[in-house]
Amino acid sequence: MSLLQSLEERPVVPLNGPVLARLGGPGAVLLAGPAAGEGPEPFHGMLDRLGPTPPAMSSDIMSAIWASELRGRGGGSFPLWRKLQAALDAPGTPVVVINCSESEPASRKDWTLCSYRPHVVLEGAAAVARAVGAEEVVIHLHGRSIEPTTAIRCALHQRGSLAGDPDWRLSSGPGGYVAGEASAVARFVHSGVALPLSNSVPLARRGPSGRPTVVTNAETAAHVAALLRMGPDRWRAAGTESSPGPQLLTMAGAVPEPGLVVELVGQATIGEVLEAAGVPAPPAAVLVGGYAGTWLQGQAAWNAPMDATALRRLGAARGCGLIGVLPHGACGLVETGRLTRYMAGESAGQCGPCVHGLPVLATCMDGLAGGTAGRRSLKRLHRTADALPGSGACSHPDGVVRLVLSALKVFEHDVVRHCAGKPCRAADHPPVFLTSGPGGGELP
Amino acid sequence: MKVIVHVDPTRCRGHGICTLFFADGLELDRWGFGRPRESVPEGRRSLAQARRAARACPNGAISFTVERGRSRA
Repeated sequence: MSLLQSLEERPVVPLNGPVLARLGGPGAVLLAGPAAGEGPEPFHGMLDRLGPTPPAMSSDIMSAIWASELRGRGGGSFPLWRKLQAALDAPGTPVVVINCSESEPASRKDWTLCSYRPHVVLEGAAAVARAVGAEEVVIHLHGRSIEPTTAIRCALHQRGSLAGDPDWRLSSGPGGYVAGEASAVARFVHSGVALPLSNSVPLARRGPSGRPTVVTNAETAAHVAALLRMGPDRWRAAGTESSPGPQLLTMAGAVPEPGLVVELVGQATIGEVLEAAGVPAPPAAVLVGGYAGTWLQGQAAWNAPMDATALRRLGAARGCGLIGVLPHGACGLVETGRLTRYMAGESAGQCGPCVHGLPVLATCMDGLAGGTAGRRSLKRLHRTADALPGSGACSHPDGVVRLVLSALKVFEHDVVRHCAGKPCRAADHPPVFLTSGPGGGELP
Repeated sequence: MKVIVHVDPTRCRGHGICTLFFADGLELDRWGFGRPRESVPEGRRSLAQARRAARACPNGAISFTVERGRSRA
Protein backbone atom coordinates (compact mmCIF):
# COMPACT_ATOMS: atom_id res chain seq x y z
CA MET A 1 0.00 0.00 0.00
CA SER A 2 1.44 3.36 -0.94
CA LEU A 3 1.88 6.10 1.62
CA LEU A 4 -0.78 8.15 -0.12
CA GLN A 5 -3.33 5.36 0.13
CA SER A 6 -2.61 4.81 3.76
CA LEU A 7 -3.16 8.53 4.35
CA GLU A 8 -6.52 8.47 2.59
CA GLU A 9 -7.63 5.61 4.74
CA ARG A 10 -6.32 7.04 7.95
CA PRO A 11 -8.79 6.90 10.80
CA VAL A 12 -10.49 10.10 11.82
CA VAL A 13 -10.18 10.39 15.56
CA PRO A 14 -13.48 11.67 16.92
CA LEU A 15 -13.33 14.53 19.36
CA ASN A 16 -15.91 15.48 21.92
CA GLY A 17 -16.06 19.17 21.17
CA PRO A 18 -13.17 21.60 21.16
CA VAL A 19 -10.76 22.08 24.03
CA LEU A 20 -9.73 25.63 24.82
CA ALA A 21 -6.94 25.31 27.33
CA ARG A 22 -4.69 27.74 29.08
CA LEU A 23 -1.17 26.95 30.21
CA GLY A 24 -1.36 23.71 32.20
CA GLY A 25 -5.07 23.32 31.47
CA PRO A 26 -6.75 19.96 30.85
CA GLY A 27 -6.84 18.68 27.29
CA ALA A 28 -3.97 20.83 26.05
CA VAL A 29 -1.23 19.41 23.84
CA LEU A 30 1.55 22.00 23.72
CA LEU A 31 0.49 23.81 26.89
CA ALA A 32 -0.10 20.63 28.91
CA GLY A 33 1.92 20.23 32.10
CA PRO A 34 2.43 22.44 35.13
CA ALA A 35 0.57 25.72 35.59
CA ALA A 36 2.19 29.10 35.05
CA GLY A 37 2.95 29.57 38.73
CA GLU A 38 5.45 26.72 38.67
CA GLY A 39 7.72 28.42 36.17
CA PRO A 40 9.54 26.70 33.34
CA GLU A 41 9.03 22.95 33.20
CA PRO A 42 12.34 21.21 33.95
CA PHE A 43 13.79 18.48 31.72
CA HIS A 44 12.96 15.63 34.10
CA GLY A 45 9.48 17.14 34.47
CA MET A 46 8.85 16.81 30.75
CA LEU A 47 10.32 13.30 30.65
CA ASP A 48 8.17 12.22 33.63
CA ARG A 49 5.10 13.68 31.97
CA LEU A 50 5.65 12.47 28.42
CA GLY A 51 8.20 9.69 28.65
CA PRO A 52 11.55 9.56 26.90
CA THR A 53 11.96 11.19 23.51
CA PRO A 54 10.97 8.59 20.90
CA PRO A 55 13.95 7.63 18.76
CA ALA A 56 13.46 8.58 15.12
CA MET A 57 15.57 8.65 12.00
CA SER A 58 15.67 11.54 9.57
CA SER A 59 13.35 9.81 7.10
CA ASP A 60 10.84 8.95 9.86
CA ILE A 61 10.74 12.56 10.97
CA MET A 62 10.37 13.81 7.41
CA SER A 63 7.50 11.45 6.65
CA ALA A 64 5.75 12.26 9.92
CA ILE A 65 6.00 15.99 9.20
CA TRP A 66 4.80 15.36 5.65
CA ALA A 67 1.83 13.30 6.83
CA SER A 68 0.94 15.86 9.47
CA GLU A 69 0.82 18.73 6.92
CA LEU A 70 2.22 20.99 9.62
CA ARG A 71 2.52 24.54 8.40
CA GLY A 72 4.80 27.19 9.86
CA ARG A 73 3.19 29.04 12.75
CA GLY A 74 5.19 32.23 12.55
CA GLY A 75 2.70 33.86 10.19
CA GLY A 76 3.61 32.64 6.74
CA SER A 77 1.88 29.24 7.08
CA PHE A 78 4.38 27.63 4.72
CA PRO A 79 4.35 23.82 4.72
CA LEU A 80 7.26 22.76 6.93
CA TRP A 81 8.10 19.62 4.97
CA ARG A 82 8.63 21.65 1.80
CA LYS A 83 11.06 23.91 3.59
CA LEU A 84 12.91 20.92 5.02
CA GLN A 85 12.91 19.12 1.67
CA ALA A 86 14.39 22.20 -0.01
CA ALA A 87 17.18 22.20 2.58
CA LEU A 88 17.78 18.47 2.09
CA ASP A 89 17.98 18.86 -1.69
CA ALA A 90 20.34 21.85 -1.58
CA PRO A 91 24.11 21.45 -1.43
CA GLY A 92 25.85 21.93 1.94
CA THR A 93 25.06 21.06 5.54
CA PRO A 94 21.92 22.90 6.62
CA VAL A 95 21.70 25.19 9.64
CA VAL A 96 18.50 25.29 11.67
CA VAL A 97 17.37 28.54 13.25
CA ILE A 98 14.46 28.45 15.67
CA ASN A 99 12.88 31.87 15.64
CA CYS A 100 11.61 32.63 19.14
CA SER A 101 11.91 36.40 18.82
CA GLU A 102 8.19 36.96 18.30
CA SER A 103 8.33 40.48 16.99
CA GLU A 104 4.56 40.72 16.64
CA PRO A 105 3.99 43.17 19.53
CA ALA A 106 0.79 41.68 20.98
CA SER A 107 1.61 38.03 20.36
CA ARG A 108 2.77 35.97 23.34
CA LYS A 109 2.61 32.37 22.14
CA ASP A 110 6.34 31.89 21.50
CA TRP A 111 7.09 33.83 24.66
CA THR A 112 4.81 31.48 26.61
CA LEU A 113 6.21 28.33 25.03
CA CYS A 114 9.85 29.31 25.54
CA SER A 115 9.23 30.57 29.07
CA TYR A 116 7.20 27.61 30.33
CA ARG A 117 7.84 24.67 27.96
CA PRO A 118 11.42 25.27 26.81
CA HIS A 119 12.17 21.54 26.61
CA VAL A 120 9.32 20.92 24.19
CA VAL A 121 10.74 23.59 21.90
CA LEU A 122 14.24 22.14 22.19
CA GLU A 123 13.04 18.60 21.53
CA GLY A 124 11.27 19.78 18.38
CA ALA A 125 14.31 21.79 17.33
CA ALA A 126 16.54 18.75 17.73
CA ALA A 127 14.11 16.71 15.62
CA VAL A 128 14.08 19.33 12.86
CA ALA A 129 17.88 19.35 12.92
CA ARG A 130 17.99 15.58 12.65
CA ALA A 131 15.47 15.61 9.80
CA VAL A 132 17.71 17.78 7.64
CA GLY A 133 21.04 16.55 9.00
CA ALA A 134 21.97 19.88 10.57
CA GLU A 135 24.85 19.97 13.01
CA GLU A 136 24.03 23.37 14.43
CA VAL A 137 20.81 24.77 15.83
CA VAL A 138 20.54 28.45 16.67
CA ILE A 139 17.83 29.44 19.12
CA HIS A 140 17.11 33.03 18.27
CA LEU A 141 15.46 35.10 20.99
CA HIS A 142 14.70 38.72 21.43
CA GLY A 143 17.42 40.13 23.67
CA ARG A 144 15.08 42.01 25.97
CA SER A 145 12.73 39.09 26.54
CA ILE A 146 14.16 38.05 29.89
CA GLU A 147 11.90 35.11 30.83
CA PRO A 148 12.19 33.07 27.63
CA THR A 149 15.92 33.73 27.38
CA THR A 150 16.50 32.56 30.96
CA ALA A 151 14.24 29.54 30.55
CA ILE A 152 15.90 28.43 27.30
CA ARG A 153 19.37 28.99 28.72
CA CYS A 154 18.55 26.84 31.77
CA ALA A 155 16.89 24.25 29.57
CA LEU A 156 19.96 23.92 27.36
CA HIS A 157 22.06 23.47 30.49
CA GLN A 158 19.71 20.78 31.84
CA ARG A 159 19.53 19.00 28.51
CA GLY A 160 23.31 18.84 28.40
CA SER A 161 24.76 16.98 25.48
CA LEU A 162 22.31 14.24 24.61
CA ALA A 163 23.42 11.63 22.12
CA GLY A 164 22.62 12.75 18.59
CA ASP A 165 21.97 16.34 19.62
CA PRO A 166 23.21 19.16 17.40
CA ASP A 167 25.47 21.95 18.65
CA TRP A 168 23.24 24.50 20.31
CA ARG A 169 23.81 28.19 20.02
CA LEU A 170 21.83 31.01 21.59
CA SER A 171 21.33 34.18 19.63
CA SER A 172 20.05 37.34 21.23
CA GLY A 173 18.61 39.67 18.65
CA PRO A 174 17.40 43.26 18.59
CA GLY A 175 13.76 44.31 18.75
CA GLY A 176 11.72 45.73 15.94
CA TYR A 177 8.91 44.36 13.84
CA VAL A 178 10.88 43.32 10.77
CA ALA A 179 13.87 42.09 12.80
CA GLY A 180 11.80 38.98 13.45
CA GLU A 181 11.24 38.30 9.75
CA ALA A 182 12.83 35.03 8.65
CA SER A 183 15.51 36.44 6.35
CA ALA A 184 16.38 39.17 8.87
CA VAL A 185 16.81 36.48 11.54
CA ALA A 186 18.93 34.32 9.23
CA ARG A 187 21.06 37.34 8.40
CA PHE A 188 21.40 38.32 12.05
CA VAL A 189 22.57 34.91 13.24
CA HIS A 190 25.10 34.88 10.42
CA SER A 191 26.44 38.43 10.40
CA GLY A 192 24.75 40.39 13.18
CA VAL A 193 22.65 42.57 10.87
CA ALA A 194 18.94 42.15 11.54
CA LEU A 195 17.59 43.41 8.22
CA PRO A 196 15.47 41.45 5.73
CA LEU A 197 17.14 40.18 2.59
CA SER A 198 15.84 40.37 -0.92
CA ASN A 199 15.59 36.69 -1.69
CA SER A 200 15.53 35.37 -5.16
CA VAL A 201 16.66 32.03 -3.73
CA PRO A 202 14.73 30.63 -0.74
CA LEU A 203 16.66 30.66 2.54
CA ALA A 204 16.14 26.93 2.88
CA ARG A 205 18.15 26.45 -0.31
CA ARG A 206 20.83 29.00 0.34
CA GLY A 207 20.89 31.30 3.35
CA PRO A 208 23.18 34.26 4.04
CA SER A 209 25.99 31.91 5.11
CA GLY A 210 25.78 30.11 1.77
CA ARG A 211 24.41 27.04 3.51
CA PRO A 212 20.79 25.91 3.44
CA THR A 213 19.14 27.76 6.33
CA VAL A 214 15.92 26.48 7.84
CA VAL A 215 14.31 29.28 9.83
CA THR A 216 11.27 28.09 11.67
CA ASN A 217 9.09 29.40 14.44
CA ALA A 218 9.24 28.23 18.08
CA GLU A 219 5.63 27.02 18.00
CA THR A 220 6.32 25.07 14.81
CA ALA A 221 9.24 23.33 16.53
CA ALA A 222 7.05 22.48 19.52
CA HIS A 223 4.48 20.98 17.15
CA VAL A 224 7.17 18.79 15.60
CA ALA A 225 7.94 17.42 19.06
CA ALA A 226 4.24 16.86 19.73
CA LEU A 227 3.46 15.16 16.43
CA LEU A 228 6.43 12.82 16.73
CA ARG A 229 5.21 11.75 20.16
CA MET A 230 1.51 11.52 19.22
CA GLY A 231 1.89 10.32 15.67
CA PRO A 232 0.76 12.50 12.76
CA ASP A 233 -2.81 11.14 12.68
CA ARG A 234 -3.61 11.92 16.29
CA TRP A 235 -1.88 15.27 15.96
CA ARG A 236 -3.91 16.15 12.86
CA ALA A 237 -7.13 15.15 14.59
CA ALA A 238 -6.44 17.84 17.19
CA GLY A 239 -7.26 20.42 14.53
CA THR A 240 -9.49 20.74 11.49
CA GLU A 241 -9.21 19.41 7.96
CA SER A 242 -7.66 22.60 6.59
CA SER A 243 -5.81 23.57 9.79
CA PRO A 244 -4.53 20.27 11.15
CA GLY A 245 -3.10 20.11 14.67
CA PRO A 246 -3.68 22.24 17.74
CA GLN A 247 -3.21 26.00 17.52
CA LEU A 248 -1.86 28.55 19.95
CA LEU A 249 -3.82 31.77 19.91
CA THR A 250 -3.00 35.04 21.65
CA MET A 251 -5.80 37.29 22.86
CA ALA A 252 -5.22 41.00 22.38
CA GLY A 253 -7.07 44.30 22.62
CA ALA A 254 -10.25 44.59 24.66
CA VAL A 255 -10.08 41.22 26.41
CA PRO A 256 -9.94 40.63 30.17
CA GLU A 257 -6.32 39.41 29.92
CA PRO A 258 -4.43 40.82 26.94
CA GLY A 259 -1.56 38.51 26.12
CA LEU A 260 -3.43 35.42 27.28
CA VAL A 261 -2.44 32.41 25.21
CA VAL A 262 -5.12 29.80 24.58
CA GLU A 263 -4.54 26.47 22.93
CA LEU A 264 -7.33 25.36 20.64
CA VAL A 265 -7.59 21.60 20.25
CA GLY A 266 -10.28 20.64 17.76
CA GLN A 267 -12.62 22.94 15.90
CA ALA A 268 -14.08 26.10 17.38
CA THR A 269 -15.37 29.41 16.15
CA ILE A 270 -13.57 32.63 16.98
CA GLY A 271 -16.58 33.40 19.19
CA GLU A 272 -16.02 30.25 21.23
CA VAL A 273 -12.34 31.11 21.58
CA LEU A 274 -13.20 34.61 22.75
CA GLU A 275 -15.84 33.30 25.16
CA ALA A 276 -13.20 31.07 26.71
CA ALA A 277 -11.02 34.15 27.08
CA GLY A 278 -13.80 36.01 28.87
CA VAL A 279 -15.41 38.01 26.07
CA PRO A 280 -19.16 37.43 26.52
CA ALA A 281 -20.59 38.83 23.27
CA PRO A 282 -19.52 39.73 19.71
CA PRO A 283 -17.34 42.86 19.76
CA ALA A 284 -17.38 45.62 17.15
CA ALA A 285 -14.61 44.02 15.13
CA VAL A 286 -11.85 41.45 15.40
CA LEU A 287 -8.31 41.76 14.08
CA VAL A 288 -7.17 38.31 13.01
CA GLY A 289 -3.60 37.23 12.32
CA GLY A 290 -1.53 40.01 13.81
CA TYR A 291 -0.93 43.70 13.15
CA ALA A 292 -0.33 42.81 9.52
CA GLY A 293 -3.59 40.89 9.64
CA THR A 294 -7.16 41.42 8.61
CA TRP A 295 -10.08 43.16 10.27
CA LEU A 296 -13.30 41.21 10.38
CA GLN A 297 -16.68 42.55 11.31
CA GLY A 298 -17.47 41.45 14.88
CA GLN A 299 -20.47 39.20 14.29
CA ALA A 300 -18.97 37.62 11.16
CA ALA A 301 -15.77 36.85 13.06
CA TRP A 302 -17.71 35.53 16.05
CA ASN A 303 -19.39 32.87 13.87
CA ALA A 304 -16.31 32.05 11.79
CA PRO A 305 -14.49 28.80 12.56
CA MET A 306 -10.81 29.29 13.46
CA ASP A 307 -9.67 27.34 10.47
CA ALA A 308 -7.77 28.15 7.28
CA THR A 309 -10.59 27.55 4.78
CA ALA A 310 -13.18 29.50 6.75
CA LEU A 311 -10.80 32.40 7.31
CA ARG A 312 -9.73 32.44 3.67
CA ARG A 313 -13.38 32.73 2.67
CA LEU A 314 -13.52 35.91 4.76
CA GLY A 315 -10.27 37.17 3.27
CA ALA A 316 -8.26 36.52 6.42
CA ALA A 317 -5.55 34.11 7.55
CA ARG A 318 -4.47 32.83 10.95
CA GLY A 319 -1.07 34.51 10.61
CA CYS A 320 0.66 34.32 13.97
CA GLY A 321 -2.58 33.36 15.74
CA LEU A 322 -3.40 36.77 17.16
CA ILE A 323 -7.06 37.51 17.89
CA GLY A 324 -7.49 41.20 18.62
CA VAL A 325 -10.76 42.55 19.94
CA LEU A 326 -12.06 46.01 19.08
CA PRO A 327 -14.73 46.94 21.65
CA HIS A 328 -17.97 48.74 20.86
CA GLY A 329 -17.23 52.36 21.52
CA ALA A 330 -13.76 52.38 20.02
CA CYS A 331 -13.13 53.52 16.47
CA GLY A 332 -11.59 51.06 14.04
CA LEU A 333 -10.19 53.83 11.88
CA VAL A 334 -8.44 55.52 14.80
CA GLU A 335 -6.96 52.17 15.87
CA THR A 336 -5.90 51.31 12.34
CA GLY A 337 -4.35 54.76 11.97
CA ARG A 338 -2.32 54.18 15.12
CA LEU A 339 -1.25 50.71 14.01
CA THR A 340 -0.36 51.96 10.53
CA ARG A 341 1.79 54.74 11.98
CA TYR A 342 3.54 52.19 14.18
CA MET A 343 4.08 49.77 11.29
CA ALA A 344 5.42 52.58 9.08
CA GLY A 345 7.94 53.35 11.81
CA GLU A 346 8.93 49.69 11.97
CA SER A 347 10.09 49.57 8.36
CA ALA A 348 13.70 48.48 8.10
CA GLY A 349 14.20 51.48 5.85
CA GLN A 350 15.83 49.44 3.11
CA CYS A 351 13.36 49.45 0.26
CA GLY A 352 12.14 52.65 -1.37
CA PRO A 353 8.47 51.77 -1.72
CA CYS A 354 8.23 50.87 1.99
CA VAL A 355 10.12 54.00 3.10
CA HIS A 356 8.00 56.28 0.92
CA GLY A 357 4.72 54.40 0.77
CA LEU A 358 4.01 53.45 4.38
CA PRO A 359 4.16 57.03 5.72
CA VAL A 360 1.68 58.02 3.01
CA LEU A 361 -0.66 55.28 4.18
CA ALA A 362 -0.19 56.37 7.79
CA THR A 363 -0.82 60.03 6.99
CA CYS A 364 -3.95 59.23 5.00
CA MET A 365 -5.19 56.96 7.79
CA ASP A 366 -4.50 59.66 10.39
CA GLY A 367 -6.43 62.12 8.26
CA LEU A 368 -9.28 59.68 7.91
CA ALA A 369 -9.28 58.94 11.63
CA GLY A 370 -9.23 62.63 12.53
CA GLY A 371 -12.01 63.50 10.10
CA THR A 372 -9.81 65.85 8.08
CA ALA A 373 -9.47 63.59 5.04
CA GLY A 374 -11.54 64.07 1.95
CA ARG A 375 -12.16 62.09 -1.19
CA ARG A 376 -8.74 62.98 -2.62
CA SER A 377 -6.94 61.66 0.39
CA LEU A 378 -8.92 58.45 0.16
CA LYS A 379 -7.94 58.12 -3.50
CA ARG A 380 -4.32 58.68 -2.61
CA LEU A 381 -4.62 55.98 0.01
CA HIS A 382 -5.96 53.51 -2.54
CA ARG A 383 -3.36 54.40 -5.17
CA THR A 384 -0.56 53.90 -2.66
CA ALA A 385 -2.07 50.67 -1.40
CA ASP A 386 -2.24 49.38 -4.98
CA ALA A 387 1.42 50.15 -5.65
CA LEU A 388 2.90 48.63 -2.50
CA PRO A 389 2.27 44.87 -2.48
CA GLY A 390 5.22 42.85 -3.72
CA SER A 391 7.49 45.88 -3.89
CA GLY A 392 9.74 45.16 -0.93
CA ALA A 393 12.35 42.60 0.01
CA CYS A 394 10.07 41.30 2.74
CA SER A 395 6.30 41.40 2.94
CA HIS A 396 6.11 44.18 5.53
CA PRO A 397 4.40 46.64 3.15
CA ASP A 398 2.03 43.91 1.95
CA GLY A 399 0.92 43.30 5.51
CA VAL A 400 0.26 46.97 6.22
CA VAL A 401 -1.76 47.24 3.02
CA ARG A 402 -3.81 44.22 4.09
CA LEU A 403 -4.53 45.86 7.44
CA VAL A 404 -5.51 49.21 5.89
CA LEU A 405 -7.69 47.81 3.11
CA SER A 406 -9.53 45.49 5.46
CA ALA A 407 -10.15 48.46 7.77
CA LEU A 408 -11.62 50.52 4.92
CA LYS A 409 -13.97 47.64 4.15
CA VAL A 410 -15.03 46.66 7.66
CA PHE A 411 -15.35 50.23 8.91
CA GLU A 412 -17.05 51.43 5.71
CA HIS A 413 -19.72 53.38 7.57
CA ASP A 414 -17.13 55.14 9.69
CA VAL A 415 -15.22 56.07 6.55
CA VAL A 416 -18.32 57.80 5.19
CA ARG A 417 -18.98 59.55 8.49
CA HIS A 418 -15.39 60.65 8.91
CA CYS A 419 -15.14 61.88 5.32
CA ALA A 420 -18.30 63.89 5.84
CA GLY A 421 -16.56 65.63 8.73
CA LYS A 422 -18.91 64.18 11.34
CA PRO A 423 -17.19 63.86 14.68
CA CYS A 424 -15.77 60.49 15.60
CA ARG A 425 -17.72 58.90 18.41
CA ALA A 426 -14.61 57.38 19.87
CA ALA A 427 -11.95 60.03 19.46
CA ASP A 428 -10.86 59.88 23.08
CA HIS A 429 -11.10 56.14 23.59
CA PRO A 430 -7.77 54.93 25.01
CA PRO A 431 -5.62 52.90 22.58
CA VAL A 432 -6.90 49.32 22.30
CA PHE A 433 -3.79 47.69 20.84
CA LEU A 434 -0.28 47.83 22.21
CA THR A 435 2.32 49.12 19.87
CA SER A 436 5.26 47.75 21.81
CA GLY A 437 5.94 44.32 23.22
CA PRO A 438 8.55 41.60 23.31
CA GLY A 439 9.69 42.67 19.86
CA GLY A 440 9.53 46.41 20.33
CA GLY A 441 9.67 47.22 24.00
CA GLU A 442 8.27 46.25 27.37
CA LEU A 443 4.88 44.82 28.02
CA PRO A 444 3.02 45.81 31.14
CA MET B 1 14.80 32.54 -24.57
CA LYS B 2 13.06 33.99 -21.55
CA VAL B 3 14.74 36.69 -19.49
CA ILE B 4 13.65 37.08 -15.88
CA VAL B 5 14.82 40.36 -14.35
CA HIS B 6 15.07 40.88 -10.62
CA VAL B 7 15.38 44.25 -8.92
CA ASP B 8 16.76 44.04 -5.40
CA PRO B 9 14.57 46.62 -3.64
CA THR B 10 17.04 46.91 -0.77
CA ARG B 11 19.68 48.19 -3.20
CA CYS B 12 17.59 50.25 -5.59
CA ARG B 13 17.98 53.98 -4.92
CA GLY B 14 15.72 55.13 -7.71
CA HIS B 15 18.28 56.41 -10.22
CA GLY B 16 16.10 55.03 -12.97
CA ILE B 17 19.04 54.31 -15.26
CA CYS B 18 17.93 50.71 -15.71
CA THR B 19 14.75 51.75 -17.49
CA LEU B 20 16.78 53.77 -20.00
CA PHE B 21 18.60 50.62 -21.03
CA PHE B 22 15.79 48.11 -20.71
CA ALA B 23 12.53 49.98 -21.09
CA ASP B 24 10.73 46.88 -22.36
CA GLY B 25 11.54 44.89 -19.25
CA LEU B 26 11.70 47.41 -16.43
CA GLU B 27 9.53 50.28 -15.31
CA LEU B 28 9.48 52.78 -12.47
CA ASP B 29 6.93 52.64 -9.69
CA ARG B 30 5.11 55.60 -8.13
CA TRP B 31 8.22 56.66 -6.27
CA GLY B 32 10.66 56.17 -9.12
CA PHE B 33 12.06 52.83 -8.03
CA GLY B 34 12.67 50.20 -10.65
CA ARG B 35 10.60 47.06 -10.92
CA PRO B 36 10.22 44.37 -13.58
CA ARG B 37 7.32 44.76 -15.99
CA GLU B 38 4.58 42.19 -15.83
CA SER B 39 5.65 40.67 -19.11
CA VAL B 40 9.17 40.93 -20.41
CA PRO B 41 9.66 40.33 -24.15
CA GLU B 42 11.60 37.19 -24.95
CA GLY B 43 14.65 37.00 -27.14
CA ARG B 44 18.28 37.96 -27.54
CA ARG B 45 17.52 41.68 -27.67
CA SER B 46 16.04 41.53 -24.17
CA LEU B 47 19.01 39.61 -22.90
CA ALA B 48 21.43 42.22 -24.25
CA GLN B 49 19.37 45.06 -22.79
CA ALA B 50 19.03 43.34 -19.43
CA ARG B 51 22.78 42.84 -19.32
CA ARG B 52 23.35 46.53 -20.06
CA ALA B 53 20.81 47.59 -17.41
CA ALA B 54 22.45 45.35 -14.82
CA ARG B 55 25.86 46.83 -15.62
CA ALA B 56 24.57 50.38 -15.58
CA CYS B 57 22.93 50.27 -12.16
CA PRO B 58 25.22 52.14 -9.76
CA ASN B 59 24.00 50.01 -6.85
CA GLY B 60 24.11 46.64 -8.51
CA ALA B 61 20.41 46.15 -7.85
CA ILE B 62 19.60 44.49 -11.16
CA SER B 63 20.15 40.81 -11.75
CA PHE B 64 18.61 38.51 -14.29
CA THR B 65 18.26 34.87 -15.10
CA VAL B 66 17.81 33.28 -18.47
CA GLU B 67 15.29 30.51 -18.50
CA ARG B 68 16.92 27.22 -19.41
CA GLY B 69 18.34 26.85 -15.94
CA ARG B 70 21.42 28.96 -16.64
CA SER B 71 21.92 31.89 -14.29
CA ARG B 72 23.76 35.15 -14.96
CA ALA B 73 24.07 38.15 -12.75
